[in-house]
Amino acid sequence: MARITAGVGSSHVPLLGVAVDQGKTGDDYFGPIFKGYEWTRQWERDTAKPDVVILVYNDHASAFDANIIPTFAIGCGEHYKPADEGWGPRNVPDVAGHADLGWHIAQSLILDDFDMTIINEMDVDHGLTVPLSMMFGTPDKWPAKVVPLAVNVVTYPVPSGNRCWALGEAIARAVESFPEDLNVQIWGTGGMSHQLQGPRAGLLNREWDNMFLDMLVGDSDAVRHIPHIEYLRETGSEGIEMVMWLVMRGALGKQTKCLHRHYHIPCSNTAIGHIVLEPVT
Amino acid sequence: MKQNIHEYLAEFEDIPGTRVYTAARARKGYWINQFAMSLMKAENRTRFKADEKAYLDEWPISDEAKEALLARDYNRLLDLGGNVYFLSKLFSTDGLSFAEAVSTMTDMSFPEYQAMMAKGGRSPEGNRSIKGGY
Ligand SMILES: [Fe+2]
Repeated sequence: MARITAGVGSSHVPLLGVAVDQGKTGDDYFGPIFKGYEWTRQWERDTAKPDVVILVYNDHASAFDANIIPTFAIGCGEHYKPADEGWGPRNVPDVAGHADLGWHIAQSLILDDFDMTIINEMDVDHGLTVPLSMMFGTPDKWPAKVVPLAVNVVTYPVPSGNRCWALGEAIARAVESFPEDLNVQIWGTGGMSHQLQGPRAGLLNREWDNMFLDMLVGDSDAVRHIPHIEYLRETGSEGIEMVMWLVMRGALGKQTKCLHRHYHIPCSNTAIGHIVLEPVT
Repeated sequence: MKQNIHEYLAEFEDIPGTRVYTAARARKGYWINQFAMSLMKAENRTRFKADEKAYLDEWPISDEAKEALLARDYNRLLDLGGNVYFLSKLFSTDGLSFAEAVSTMTDMSFPEYQAMMAKGGRSPEGNRSIKGGY
């Protein structure tokens, strides 16, 4: 049987991809950010060794334009190419999908009342490739297959935190009913506090971000009830991406244990947050 | 229904210096955003750079929005329904980083904005609510 063995939360700032691609991860600016991921890279390589990552992220006007806006979309393809986001695609390996697991989750979710959009072909942008670089470094080939799960966090209303958590629970049920023996991780990406628009741009909130990280650990589900307006007021207009971390948290079940945690301000316009969680059964 | 949609949307207007990308803005700015999206193709970037006005005239965009696009007036573009992830295609065509383009929407110069970010960013204190002033 497939099982979800761990959850990872991480920011996916595009500048982190630039730092990796230009070999700047050890400099004064990026060094402290990347240091906080060293533990995770080693753990992924030597201990966790996932077969598949369900990677919850959002597309930033790359695969989807303003025309079609799926709230929750799942990638069921065999492979995905890094997107050209306006300055050429990142020079990172293509992403291998897990079409069997993707389709199994898609079908299970629809039967479980989550009306998913299914994607066969798409390019994946920094929202997906930056977390892969942060967790896996710079291999010739990504060590795990990926089931992309794209969430609309751009056009309002975006899904509620509660709905994201419930989707995570349904994903866990779907994974558990997949017959093949697979070690599956789920990653929630985006955030933490940042605002990329308007006169209030540049807002960061260390205190609130860390409260959010605290709330992901243990057996409380209070975090699922934080309303959108609180994310917007406290963490900036783009801080809303943190609802995607709740898909990850919901998939880990009633209780979690924290294996690793990291927080750093700033990276470009954004606060970097990272957490590794294990389900407690 | 868990929350009334009108109440939900009204709350967004109480956040200082912020235009939440609501469905109303997405409708208003649809062609601004689709135009920006077209700049993801190298050949379109070349054509746009050669004659910006002529390229914009191919799109059903209002004169006001064309003017704002030509002036790179990003706050006005937000008011006209532009979204920053789409508009980023325009500022990357200009060779601007995200942080530099974002700084043009504030009352700071880019070096001032960078200095603020290095010191921990803009504080949420007093920036959460217009009515509440907290
Ligand atoms: Fe993002």
